[in-house]
Amino acid sequence: MRFMRSSPLLTAAGPVLFGGAFLAPLIAQSLEAASIPAPFGLEPLVFGLAVGISLGFVAALRGRWV
Amino acid sequence: MSAVAPIEPTPGRSERELKREEAAIARKYMGRVPWEMVAWGLGNFVLWLSIWPLTFAGILPLWAAFVLSTVSITLCYLPSHEAQHSIIATEGSPLRWLNELVGHVSTIPLLLPYRIAWITHKQHHANANDPELDPDHANQGDTWWQAAWNGIQARQFGAGHGYKNALARSDDPNLGKALREGTILSLSYYAILVTLAWSGHAIEAALIWWLPRHIAMTYIQVFLSWAPHHPMEETGRYRDTRAWRSPVGTILSLGMEYHIVHHLFPRIPLFQTGPAYHEMRALLDERGCRNDRPD
Repeated sequence: MRFMRSSPLLTAAGPVLFGGAFLAPLIAQSLEAASIPAPFGLEPLVFGLAVGISLGFVAALRGRWV
Repeated sequence: MSAVAPIEPTPGRSERELKREEAAIARKYMGRVPWEMVAWGLGNFVLWLSIWPLTFAGILPLWAAFVLSTVSITLCYLPSHEAQHSIIATEGSPLRWLNELVGHVSTIPLLLPYRIAWITHKQHHANANDPELDPDHANQGDTWWQAAWNGIQARQFGAGHGYKNALARSDDPNLGKALREGTILSLSYYAILVTLAWSGHAIEAALIWWLPRHIAMTYIQVFLSWAPHHPMEETGRYRDTRAWRSPVGTILSLGMEYHIVHHLFPRIPLFQTGPAYHEMRALLDERGCRNDRPD
């Protein structure tokens, strides 16, 4: 069997999905656990989604998280 | 990287005699079932699984769960490594099922499918320290922290890392099955993380699996890939791996101080590599093996 490389679109979508699906609730729940209000009066989850998806998008562009 | 000329046998003893002496010592340490590795592999997996209900039930504090999980995931590779080399039971033997069970189960927390681990590990043994062909070569570095950073970089999704390349090169008949298992394991992992996160347990998911796995991967890469092969410049049976004295001791370096014995005789169980090293030490020196141990 020949090894199939994943498509560039899937590779790029992965970090954005991870940012929105995992990092966003993680950021939101971390803020709530530390009793830190989200900036600009945002709901923690909205803030988490904004940060998580942005981080994922930047990671997708760079090809790496760190 | 420099290829090393074959070691010349010393006067009086032929190459064949040296090999025979090495093999005679090695045989003494091979052949038994390493039950301690079976217990380690399966017990460690059960321990890791038990962290989840204990944490959710409030019996185990989250900080302790994080520490325990990090240690557990760090320890989960070596039993699978024994199974990869069929040390627990060879193909066709009555306990083969146990070898495969340990191999498959023990590295689930690390998210490293057994067949993928074996296909890539075979290439490491065959091409140790070759920058193009050794899948572990991405961990090269002048210091352990450089090796750790290089290992983290090599694991990034966009990196053309050694494991991906090793799989692309492989013509192993189990490759298709290995890739399917890898896909299922990865999808299951992300599905579990996301489900936990959206049901209010994102911090638990991060501290019991996501972060410990990354820490464990880095620790394993430093002690199993970088340290025993450092500086990763020479190839050849007697020069691609070294004996070394770890500043953190044998246990914390996961028994890798005697890794040279493993590369010479991969069927010797991990716990026997130390005694085997001490018995064949003079032969190894005669061979011109890389020995960075003062004793």
